[in-house]
Amino acid sequence: MPKLDLSTSPHVHSGDTVSSKMTGVLIALIPAYIAALYFFGLGALIISITAIGSCVLFEYLIQRFLLKGSLSILDGSAALTGILLAFNLPSNLPVWIVIVGSFVAIGVAKMSFGGLGNNPFNPALVARVFLLISFPAQMTSWPKPMPWNPAYLDAVTAATPLAILKGQFSEVPDTLNLFLGNMGGSLGEVSALALLLGLAYLLIRKIITWHIPISILLTVFVFTGILHIANPDAFIGTPVFHLLTGGLMLGAIFMATDYVTSPMTKPGMLIFGIGIGIITVVIRVFGSYPEGMSFAILILNGFTPLINKYIKPKRFGKVKRK
Amino acid sequence: MKQSGVKVFLNGIFKENPVLVLFLGMCPTLATTSTALTGMSMGLATLFVLFASNVVISILKNLIPERITMTAYVMIISTFVTVAEMLIHAYYPAMYVSLGIFLPLIVVNCLILGRVQVFASKNSVFYSALDGLGMGLGFTFALTVLGTLRELLGTGKAFGNTVFPEHYGALIFVLAPGAFITLGYLIAVVNSAKLRKTEDIEDNID
Amino acid sequence: MKKVKSSILNIVLVLAGISAFAGVTLASVYTLTKDTIKDSQTSKIEEAVRAVLPPYDHVSLKPIELKNGVETTNVYKAYDKNNAMVGAAVESTSNNGYRGTIDIIVGFNTKGVIMNYAVIEQNETPGLGAQMESWFKTNIAHQDIQGKNAGTSNLNVSKDGGEIDGITGATISSRAFLFAVRNAYFAFTSNLDVQDQGTKVKVDSTQQKSSHL
Repeated sequence: MPKLDLSTSPHVHSGDTVSSKMTGVLIALIPAYIAALYFFGLGALIISITAIGSCVLFEYLIQRFLLKGSLSILDGSAALTGILLAFNLPSNLPVWIVIVGSFVAIGVAKMSFGGLGNNPFNPALVARVFLLISFPAQMTSWPKPMPWNPAYLDAVTAATPLAILKGQFSEVPDTLNLFLGNMGGSLGEVSALALLLGLAYLLIRKIITWHIPISILLTVFVFTGILHIANPDAFIGTPVFHLLTGGLMLGAIFMATDYVTSPMTKPGMLIFGIGIGIITVVIRVFGSYPEGMSFAILILNGFTPLINKYIKPKRFGKVKRK
Repeated sequence: MKQSGVKVFLNGIFKENPVLVLFLGMCPTLATTSTALTGMSMGLATLFVLFASNVVISILKNLIPERITMTAYVMIISTFVTVAEMLIHAYYPAMYVSLGIFLPLIVVNCLILGRVQVFASKNSVFYSALDGLGMGLGFTFALTVLGTLRELLGTGKAFGNTVFPEHYGALIFVLAPGAFITLGYLIAVVNSAKLRKTEDIEDNID
Repeated sequence: MKKVKSSILNIVLVLAGISAFAGVTLASVYTLTKDTIKDSQTSKIEEAVRAVLPPYDHVSLKPIELKNGVETTNVYKAYDKNNAMVGAAVESTSNNGYRGTIDIIVGFNTKGVIMNYAVIEQNETPGLGAQMESWFKTNIAHQDIQGKNAGTSNLNVSKDGGEIDGITGATISSRAFLFAVRNAYFAFTSNLDVQDQGTKVKVDSTQQKSSHL
C-alpha cells in the first residue's frame, strides 16, 4: 500500500510505532475501566467485551473480504476504537445496539474512508452519535451507579447530572461524588479522577501533549464561569460542575486527542481545543441536547484539515528572520 | 443528428441517471426519501412535470425567441408544477402533506430546467418525450430505492409493510443524516460497478 | 423551421401566448380540483372527531372557540338521536413542546372520562417525543390516559407527582402533551352547558408557565 508522510522532512524514526502508541493509550484507559467496572458491574464488562470484539471482527472481515488488502487488526487501533465506543455507551444498552455501533464505527466511519489514518472523523464518536440519534430512548436511559453490584439490564435508571440541569427533576450529586464518578452516565465518562490519572500517564509517557485536553477544559471552565457569574439563576451549572459531568473529561483526554483527526501543530491544537470547548458549552447551555461534547469534537474534526492548512508545521531547522 | 429512441430512453435510467450519476435534483432526493412511498411519489410528480415540459418546449422551441428562452421555460415548467400540486392536493391529500414545500419546489429542480435546456430545446418532440420519460423514471427509480432503504433501515418497513419490528430500526436513517449516508453508499455502489467495467476493458487491452 | 427573431413584438406575442396557455391550464385544473380539495380539508377534522368520540348521531362541526392568549381550544359537541349530548371532542394546543406547538384532539364522554385522543400536529423528536401519537393510548404500566376521568385523575407526569408515566427520555414533550389534555378538559367543563357557538371563555394557563423548563 502506498504511504504518504504528511510531516515535513527530515524524518527521524523515534522508535514509536502505531501499535506502541495504541498500547500506551490502552494502558491509560485502565483506571477509567476499573471505575466503570466498579460502578456498573457486569453491564460494563458485557458492553466493553462486545464492543472490542465486534470492532476487531468487523475490521478483519472488511479487510479480508471486501478490500482484500493487508490486515491491520494487530495494531490495536480497532480494539482502541472498541473500548472508546464502549466508554461512550450506557451500561444497560442491549448488546445488539453495541454491535450496530461497532459496525458504524469500523465500517462507516473508518474503513469507508480508507482505514486508519484516512478517517476524517473519530470512529468511536461517529458511532456514538449515530446510536444517540438512532436509538434515543435506549441511549439516554442511564443506569444508576451501584458500586460492586453485578446487576445488568434491570438496573434502576438515573438521570445524568446534565440532564437534571435541563429540567429533569432529580437531585444533583455533590462535587465529591461527581469527581469520583458516582453518577449516572456512560461507562467511561463518570469518574473524573480515573480519567485524570489516565491523562497524567499519557503526558508522562509523552503520548499526547497537553495542548488539546487542557485548552478544552480551560475553555469550558472560563466560558461556563462567565455565564454563571453573569446570571447564576439562568445558568445554574457552576464551572466545576461542568468540568466534572458528562463526557467532557473523557472527550478532552481520549477522544479529541486522537492523532488522525486532530491538528498536527501546537497552535492548531489550541484552536481545536478552544473550538471544542466553546461548542460544547453552547450545546450544553443553549442547545436541546444535555451533552454536546461528542458533537463538538466531530464538528472540530471537520475543521482539522482547514486548521492544518493555515497553521503549517515549521520546517526543520528554520531560523526566525530578524 | 441520428439517435436511437431506445438509447435516449435508457440513457436517463442507467448511464446518466440524474441522481446517481449526474447528481441533479439533490434537494428533493435528500428531503423526500424518508419513506419509499414519499420518495416514489416525488419521483412520479417530477416525472410528470419533466415529461410535459419536455414535450411542450420541444414543440415550441422554434417559436420562442432567443432572449426570453429562460422566462418562457420557467413559465411552462411552473405551470405544470402547479398542475401537479393541485392534482395531488385534491386526489392524494396525505401525500400533499408529507411532500409539503418540496412539491412546489419541483420548479427549481435543476433536473427539469437542465433537461429542457440541454435536450428538449434541441430535439424533436418524439425524442424529447422519450428523454423526459427516461430521465423521470431514472429519477423515480433512484428516489424509490433510496426511500425503500431508508424506510427499511429506519423503521423496519418497506412501503409501510413491516419487515422487522420497528424497535430495531435505526432512526437516523429517517432523519437528514441518514439520507446523506444512504445516498453516499448508493453512489459508491454505482461507482464501483462502473469502475469494475472500465477495469475489465483495460485488462482486455493489456 | 427557423427560430423566431427576438424582436419586441415577437417577445410580447410569445409571452402572451404562453401566459394564456398557463392561465387556461391552471384555471381548468383549479375548477376540476377545487371541491375535492375543500372536502379533504374538512374531513380531516371530522375524521379526528369521529375517532376520539363515543358513537354519536350527529356532531356540531362548528366549534365553540375559546381563546386565551395564543392557545385556542375548539370544542365539538356530539349528540345522540334524541339530541342529548354524548360527549365532546376538544381540540387543544400546547406551545411548550420540545420543538414548537403540539395540537391534539381529545374526546370526553359526558362524565369527563377520556375516551381517546388523536394528535393533529406535532414536531417532536422522532423516536422520543413523537411517540406521543400512540404512547398515551398504550396500556402498559401507567402510560394509558384512556378511561381516566380527567376531573378526578392527576394528569401529570409521574416525575412531577402525577399518575401518568411520561415518554422515556421525553419528559418535556410528555408535559406539553398532558398540559394540552388538561387544558382540553378545562375547556370541556367550562362549556358543558354552553349551547350557542362562538362563546369566549378564559382558559387556565397557570400550568403552562410552570412547565417551562
